[in-house]
Amino acid sequence: MSEQTPVWSVIALPAVLAALALAAAVLDAVLGGFRASSPLGEVARLLVQQRRRTLLPDTLLLRIGVVSLVVAPVLAGIVIPLGDIAVADLAVGIVWFNAMEVCVWGSLWLTGWSVNSVYPLVGAYRFVAQGLAYELPHMFALITVGLGAGSLRMSDAVRAQQELWFVVWMPLAFLVYLISALAMAFWGPMGAPLGGDIAGGSRAELSGPDRLLFQSGRYVLLVVAAAAAVPLFLGGGAGPLLPSWLWALIKTAAVLGLLVWVRHRVPVVRMDRFTQCSWLVLIPVSLLQLLVVGVVVL
Amino acid sequence: MGLTRWLLRQAAMHPRPLVVTAVYGTRARLLTEAELARRSWVPADAPGEANLLIVCGHASHELDEAVRTVWSDMSGPRARVDVPSEASPHQVTQALEHATEQLGDAQAQWQDAAARVAAPWVPGSSDAGDQAAMHEGGHGTSDEHEHEGGGHLNQEQAGGEAEHGAHGGHGGGHHEHHMGSPGGLPMAERGPDRDGLSLDRLHVPLGPILADWPSGLVVETVLQGDVIQEATVKVMPGIGTGGSFWDEPWIMAAEGHPVSRAEAARRRAAARLDGLGRLLAVAGWASAAGQGRSLRDRLLADAPPAELAPPYTRFARRVRRSRTLRWMLRNVGAIGEGDALSRLERWLAATSAAIAALDDNTPLEEQPPSRHEPEGLLPHLLIGAELATARLIVASLDPDLDRNQVAHV
Repeated sequence: MSEQTPVWSVIALPAVLAALALAAAVLDAVLGGFRASSPLGEVARLLVQQRRRTLLPDTLLLRIGVVSLVVAPVLAGIVIPLGDIAVADLAVGIVWFNAMEVCVWGSLWLTGWSVNSVYPLVGAYRFVAQGLAYELPHMFALITVGLGAGSLRMSDAVRAQQELWFVVWMPLAFLVYLISALAMAFWGPMGAPLGGDIAGGSRAELSGPDRLLFQSGRYVLLVVAAAAAVPLFLGGGAGPLLPSWLWALIKTAAVLGLLVWVRHRVPVVRMDRFTQCSWLVLIPVSLLQLLVVGVVVL
Repeated sequence: MGLTRWLLRQAAMHPRPLVVTAVYGTRARLLTEAELARRSWVPADAPGEANLLIVCGHASHELDEAVRTVWSDMSGPRARVDVPSEASPHQVTQALEHATEQLGDAQAQWQDAAARVAAPWVPGSSDAGDQAAMHEGGHGTSDEHEHEGGGHLNQEQAGGEAEHGAHGGHGGGHHEHHMGSPGGLPMAERGPDRDGLSLDRLHVPLGPILADWPSGLVVETVLQGDVIQEATVKVMPGIGTGGSFWDEPWIMAAEGHPVSRAEAARRRAAARLDGLGRLLAVAGWASAAGQGRSLRDRLLADAPPAELAPPYTRFARRVRRSRTLRWMLRNVGAIGEGDALSRLERWLAATSAAIAALDDNTPLEEQPPSRHEPEGLLPHLLIGAELATARLIVASLDPDLDRNQVAHV
């Protein structure tokens, strides 16, 4: 790992995230039976669309909510190494990642609440319930990685996997991570906060630039959730022949593809039913995994 | 300017249509949905997402008011299409073609935008104040006395809001008369909820303009959080004659026209697939919903039975095998005959039987398949349900309001 962060990585990170986000949107459109060009058409449409007005919105909170939905995942992305180089390889990288991604709770709540409309508010309620269901198992899965690596630094986690990828000996933590990655990006089966049954939920009243930012932020979030799985569980840039940055990209694309595909295979899970599963199954499972890893490390 | 024009043209090729269906507009809706699928336009969940408003069938006065409110709130560039109940597929194609042109026509869109700037925005600007806006399920105003509030008050407060908007929210003093009632709207009253907390009560009508919602149905609810505390069912009157599109073969047969069992089976299977599509869409499984709807469209386009049975079998297997779907539908909307899951399974079986009967050319003699009138059950089932569950209950009961209406000429 290089001690000095190259300047280009600061520019490369948003570019890579944007490219992967677009790729995810295109894949989602194709899997849904729509044209591959429809995400680009949507961008064009939102660029020329006027803002929608609602009665007595809290515009400041709305802007904070929408903008932070883009900023938070990009900030979460700075600790994720692309091959060997991360923008900032913080000593508490895993915690930083978790903290940034929790900012999304605020983003979604502010967006849903501030437009002063019923369905977005219900979407925001749903995300809070969802957060309570997924966040604990999610944190336990991250802690398991930290325990296995003996460090909270992402690059240390990658180094600890040189012999054996974490996904091999902590498969349950990986599974829990994938489920919580869906929940964190409110995507697919965990997409109730944006459910079609509540007219699109938190984003129902957004149009034009607001909606463009919101949608982009959501895809970037999905990309970051997929990308973090690579250094955490899939050996980072390790792999034969190809350079490590390319391996990291390939693995990220594979996880991302899986997450996008799941949306088309599984209906939405309601939190009134999932919470029980989360607390009675996922938390014990992730604790068990933590225990096993703890014993092995000792 | 050049860039805007270019973006407008690109955007016009990917419209997001919001489809509103009036009572007796089912046929128009089916033609429209088939055409939208053929063009692979992504349908919108909400007016905020849409730039194309499609009204299927002849809107009654009440629905028309809601439509006008949604239209006046829709952000430009925008286009509106009216598909009459008796429209031909060709007319639907033409109307959508025209809408694309309109969306890409920078001149027309600028004129539209300029006209809207000239006339300041009034929330819920149709005659009935924000009543109609509420139907759309939109703005979270909440007042017990909304009904007595009437149009006049709403017009005044709306003026205040427009002014407020113009000042960019930096207003200050001159809004003091609104103290205690932001925007002139009364504050939400509170009431105890199921957990013994005191929560705001929001008055929210579900329908008539709501994606994947039975046309003509309005459920006036009182919400606390997302839990329904009170529910009143209203049925919007339709304009037109005749019964339900789904009963047509039986009505024709009863009138003495020659109708084969195959025709009836085709209509029956399509009806069930339409219901399945809606239920799956509400359950958040767009992919399976799309599969069911494309089968429905092929049935109605008279595809030969041999081309329908295998894809239907695949579709039914996929839906039956989804454990998540079973988990989500079990114990939802349980009545004497079963829950949403058992209704889903009955629909799958009925569709399968109907598709098997597509070769039966003997004349149709029997009565239409009896269907309960689930609107009466709704208030009882919906009270205490969360919105998500409530939507599933309604979709799984699939009320056909075209059928139950007394025809208004």
